[in-house]
Amino acid sequence: MTAGATVTAPGSGEPRPWTPGELMAAELSRHLHDGEVAVMGTAAAVPQAACRLAQLTHAPDFWYVAGGTCGVNPHLAPLGSSCCDVGLLRADTALTLPDVVMLEGRGDVFDIFFAGGLQIDAYGNCNLAAVGPWQQPTLRGPGGVGLPFLARVRRVLLYTMSHTPRTFVERVDFRSGPGFLGGPAEWAAAALTGGGPQLVVTPLCTMAFDPVSLRMGLRSLHPGVDLDQVRHRTGFELWVPDPLPVTPPPSAEELTVLRQLDPRGILGGL
Amino acid sequence: MARFLTADTALLAVGGMHAHNNPMALVREVVRQGRRVRRLLTSPCAALNADLLLTAGLVDEIVTSYVGFEHLGLAPGFRRAVEGHTVRLLECDEAALTHGLYAGAAGLPFIPLPPGLEVSDVPGINPDAYRPVRDPFGDRTVVAVPPLRPDLAFVHALEADAAGNAVFGGAAFTDRLMALAARRVVVQVERVVPGERIAVHPAGTTIPGFLVQAVVEAPGGCHPTASHGAYAADEDHLREYLALAREPEGAATYLRRYVTGGSEDQYRRTVAAPAGAFGAEVGR
Repeated sequence: MTAGATVTAPGSGEPRPWTPGELMAAELSRHLHDGEVAVMGTAAAVPQAACRLAQLTHAPDFWYVAGGTCGVNPHLAPLGSSCCDVGLLRADTALTLPDVVMLEGRGDVFDIFFAGGLQIDAYGNCNLAAVGPWQQPTLRGPGGVGLPFLARVRRVLLYTMSHTPRTFVERVDFRSGPGFLGGPAEWAAAALTGGGPQLVVTPLCTMAFDPVSLRMGLRSLHPGVDLDQVRHRTGFELWVPDPLPVTPPPSAEELTVLRQLDPRGILGGL
Repeated sequence: MARFLTADTALLAVGGMHAHNNPMALVREVVRQGRRVRRLLTSPCAALNADLLLTAGLVDEIVTSYVGFEHLGLAPGFRRAVEGHTVRLLECDEAALTHGLYAGAAGLPFIPLPPGLEVSDVPGINPDAYRPVRDPFGDRTVVAVPPLRPDLAFVHALEADAAGNAVFGGAAFTDRLMALAARRVVVQVERVVPGERIAVHPAGTTIPGFLVQAVVEAPGGCHPTASHGAYAADEDHLREYLALAREPEGAATYLRRYVTGGSEDQYRRTVAAPAGAFGAEVGR
């Protein structure tokens, strides 16, 4: 991917181009709104940065809970790599993990759940358990932790640093977290209280779900990415809007805030 | 250790989440003594606490929702044991583990889960733990899970007094719930402190001593994982483990070099101390 906007790094005269992780955090932050409460779990540096960026720019009344340690509105600066860092308790307040698991079940507290997987399929289902049959896996993954709670949240925002045909598959081998299940019929029959997946952000593009077919398609290509590249690296047919927009690169303000939050450059190393 | 992890320990719970607050001094001692764990229970996200026991081949069954190393990679011991069928995996989700511990602590015969969680594939592959039950207050079927009552729990706290009143140095994860649910609890701490110091903040001392059978003073005892309030994770050491444990010969090398080849005192002096896993406050 070609990096677009540049910003002057603090303390140096050299402009640094934005990285895929920074673009993804900026892109996700634009979809977070005042009054909403988000929760996230393992390996969540990108959504943590996105949430804090939203609070410090357009959505000061947006809230987030960094699952694991369970700080509420962690201040970051520095952003860490692990969702269980003690630094996430530098925050407005804190819950305990059992509290957060309870509230995930309540279903009317958290508006947004950030999620990802070893596999993500055309209907937005996620798999963190096993590639291949669960009983005889070719790759045993770590496990899905709280992903079943995706069934109970208003909207699910998916993110992954891996946009490959191995990650984006027609159908997951194991459903750790539900997307739109097997499509419109099964989704309607399940009558879940949650709203399902809404957005998928990768290093290449932003994707969304068709309201009728419930299948994933393109929303925008990140700057410097072409359509064929995305098609080759996606294991199913994506629908494509016409015209196909380009994702706005991080603004100078977004980049300045992100780099204040992330002095160790964790987003740049993803 | 021998007094606690006995042959009738059917369910051992290990605290800590991801590479934080893993009670590694206790776990390493289990490996040194070569004690089999019939069923191992973890927090919603286990790391080296479970993976070292799996690498050592000491676990018959594991109840977990995640074993991995987060941003550092997959868990080599867990992968080899599950893919090679040398451990029986009783896969759960976070709700079954957390609410199951709550049910264990509260004496509930079972606990239903929030509706909707049954659309994941987890209940289907673990029918012993997830069972449909009629909602007695409504016209519907829900999924219930059994109480989790560890025979023994190993948890790490920052400090405790001699009576076992223990203080977490940061997040408690599900470790406090484990201590409430377990029949016996061994708390590993960075330091044992006088009771007067603990009594200054009774509301922040969230494990009462009457639940605790033993306190083990193990400075640096979470190494190479982090100890909240004391030291950060040693990611270089964790990467060395991940690189070595990928192959059986490397796994044997790791165990010999860092666990079975010496005592915990030696580990503390030669591995944990040089890595800075002592005393200095970090984080908050």
